[in-house]
Amino acid sequence: MKNKIKVERAIMSLTQEDLAKKISVSRQTINAIEANKYVPSTVLALKIAQLFGKKVEEIFFLEEGD
Amino acid sequence: MTSRLFLPNRYKRIGWFLLVPAAIAGIFLTITGFEADWLTTRVFAFFSEGVLEDGQYFTVIKTNVTNTLVGVIFIIGALMVSLSKEKHEDEFISDLRLSSLLWALWFNYVLLLLAFIFVYGLSFFNVMVYNMFTILIIFIIRFNYLLYKSSKPVPDEK
Repeated sequence: MKNKIKVERAIMSLTQEDLAKKISVSRQTINAIEANKYVPSTVLALKIAQLFGKKVEEIFFLEEGD
Repeated sequence: MTSRLFLPNRYKRIGWFLLVPAAIAGIFLTITGFEADWLTTRVFAFFSEGVLEDGQYFTVIKTNVTNTLVGVIFIIGALMVSLSKEKHEDEFISDLRLSSLLWALWFNYVLLLLAFIFVYGLSFFNVMVYNMFTILIIFIIRFNYLLYKSSKPVPDEK
């Protein structure tokens, strides 16, 4: 799964730390998701989407092999 | 993972303060075979058997507790470090924890298997002594390494 959290983050000029705090997770988690090393749970994906004011599908995408 | 099975985050620091001195003392005791005389005391034992004595059940014996003390402090310290929550114990951290635990389980038993097959006689007693601590040690190293690695930003991160 791919995502464009980093882009969305840049638009809202949030650091990884800021985003992590807003959705109360660790900075490592944001880092791992952005690096496509970790697939977040549905709850976390929804929280992230809600914060950016977008639909989950606008931030997370399936890629080939998923 | 159920958070009821974890200690609060502050215990991690206390754990390190117990674990590090106990580890140093443990290595020292193993190398030198040192036993502090003032730590010879009477203790209650479920079971006790000497080289030339018969086994005794539920008895009070006189023995040196240097190794016992260091071992107990080490295990308590290691458990505190392993089982304390991180500052943000979230789903990703749980994922790292589980993978480190599996990693430690594999590593520990592969090591033990090799020791079983290739170490014989009295030396095997040493293997058993080390094996009491290896799973905790491997878990702590692996988990903290993964935490460290995942806190480093990805290369193109601004």
